[in-house]
Amino acid sequence: MADFSSPQRQSKIGILIMFAHTVQEWGRALFPMLIVLAVNLNNKKIIVGLMTIAIFLVIAIVVGWLRYRNFTFWIDEENEEFVITEGILNKSKTVIQLGKIQQVNIGQSLLQRIIGVYALDVDTAGSNKKEGKIRAISHGLALALKERLLENSGKIKSDVSNPEASETLDASEKPFINISFFSLFKYGITSNYLRTLGVILAFFATVYENVHRFMESSKYEANIDNYVGESLALKTGMILVGMLLLAILVINVLRVIIRYYGFRIARQKGSLLLSFGLINTKSTIIKPEKVQITTVSQNYFQKKLDILELRIRQATGGEEEKKRSAIEIPGCDARERDSILKLLFKSIPEKGVMLQPNYRKLVFSIFLSIVLPLGIAYMAIPSDVLSDFLWVFPLWTILRGLMLYFGFRNYRLFIHDKFIIKQSGAWDIANQIIEPEKIQALSVSQLFWHKSADIGYLTIYTAGGNLSFQLGDYTVIKGYVNKWLYEMETSDSNWM
Amino acid sequence: MEFTNNTLDVTSLPRFEEVKFNKIHSDYWKVILIVEAIIFLVVGIALGLVYYFQQEFRGYASYFGLSYVVLILIAVWFSRLSFSKKGFAFREHDVLYRDGVIATHTMVIPYNRVQHVALHEGAISRIFGLAKIEIFTAGGHQSDIEIPGIEKEQAENIKQLLMGKIRKEL
Repeated sequence: MADFSSPQRQSKIGILIMFAHTVQEWGRALFPMLIVLAVNLNNKKIIVGLMTIAIFLVIAIVVGWLRYRNFTFWIDEENEEFVITEGILNKSKTVIQLGKIQQVNIGQSLLQRIIGVYALDVDTAGSNKKEGKIRAISHGLALALKERLLENSGKIKSDVSNPEASETLDASEKPFINISFFSLFKYGITSNYLRTLGVILAFFATVYENVHRFMESSKYEANIDNYVGESLALKTGMILVGMLLLAILVINVLRVIIRYYGFRIARQKGSLLLSFGLINTKSTIIKPEKVQITTVSQNYFQKKLDILELRIRQATGGEEEKKRSAIEIPGCDARERDSILKLLFKSIPEKGVMLQPNYRKLVFSIFLSIVLPLGIAYMAIPSDVLSDFLWVFPLWTILRGLMLYFGFRNYRLFIHDKFIIKQSGAWDIANQIIEPEKIQALSVSQLFWHKSADIGYLTIYTAGGNLSFQLGDYTVIKGYVNKWLYEMETSDSNWM
Repeated sequence: MEFTNNTLDVTSLPRFEEVKFNKIHSDYWKVILIVEAIIFLVVGIALGLVYYFQQEFRGYASYFGLSYVVLILIAVWFSRLSFSKKGFAFREHDVLYRDGVIATHTMVIPYNRVQHVALHEGAISRIFGLAKIEIFTAGGHQSDIEIPGIEKEQAENIKQLLMGKIRKEL
């Protein structure tokens, strides 16, 4: 078992990583200059340019080496702190209390994979950025350090030299869930249509704009407009739509596979250890007691294919961090979902008493996203232009109306003694699960014109984000708020 | 220890909606008015300067003047509503804060979820000896409670009380 009590450096080969990091850092800063150089190239300047680059690389090597020399990390056993010192001229010392460590991630970038070292990130509550980062560490050492950092300090102090510890380490290598390539493929073709569509549209919009600008300066434009016009327009349009759909699927599948290839989940002392990635291998840990919101989402296709997505939010400090720190488990099936949920909650979450939103929620959202925008468009667009686009109105109304209707029909809050589950979504139906003891604060609010209808809003705050339910029966909501408050106040449950 | 596990009668639980809320200190209304007066004074001076230097603006001056006065009246009216709606209560096990003009918003934080408590004194509030109590949880800034317009001494007491509660819960 490794000893971390005295300052130590990274793996020797880490000099390379430090060097590459320096080059990357400076390269980014010097990039504009390089472009200017490249544009004005002639024979004389090539030599100067090459020499500059050579000097630059030499300096980078020296700096990389110095960075390696000055980077040390150790665990201060007495104060229970993880300490990192770094810096060449500006020295910095990062001290992280072991008890505050939320997550330790071990990962590999492409270069790190080639060299055979790992990066280790330490994540704490109460800060937005990754606080401690070791860029080059061997796998065994990384695992040992992670193990050590995540032990809740003090009480297991003697464990460091205990051979048992390394045994549990080996046990962690045996995954209990492996998400197959096929599952990821299925997940890829059934998820994130809208997001990918957005990305593609944004991409083509930029390309189109650039091409257009280029065309304007040359004389092709008139020809192209004629060529595309008239009879071909419809065919081209259909082909384009077909290609767009295909592109969405292909990009989705590629993205999912590159990101999540070889997804496996292992159990380690009651925690879940995830690792995944095709090019960059990431690994992360989930501690059940730190889990705040668990989301299970599935759409119609995924239901038929028996796959779903799990998203887990753990307790975090910064507001910004919350969005990013959700851990996704893509493409598991119902059985795998149940075993993960059982590990997180000790039992499979049940849906209890159902709360429905008032019909006004549907009416209001129809007004907000159909009546209002179409009304404004009708008023604002001159009638001669409008007549060409009149078909958009019923199309928008039908599509949007369907989405709103299904969204409304799926919008439910289920309250069970041990679980609060919010179901929502029109196509991707998400079930957000929280345990009442994880609640930090509760708020209810009511618009004054909703008083007579006795409906209102409920927001449940947890350390991993909020969950709100709109326009439910206000009397029932208040009743549950009282019940939850009673439960929270009579027990000293551990929310984190 | 004798262990009991009786069925909980949910209807007989203490109700947060029936709690009597304490009003914000009446001097806080003056604080709001002074802050608003300063803001409108600055905007008013800016408008005056425009009137002085831009000849073509003068034709519309009466419209601007009128809408400015209406704006001030609306702002004051809304602040008054908001002021009178604000209320707080400290129960045995939790703190409640109510506010909101159009929507009435009630926030409840149990003491055993409070992370820390802070006292904040604004420049103008200080003149009237008022302070703001800020109560933080781990649920991010949306779930924090800020109670303005409490007498400094009382605020200090409340803070001590809360700190005591937190320590006891730990």
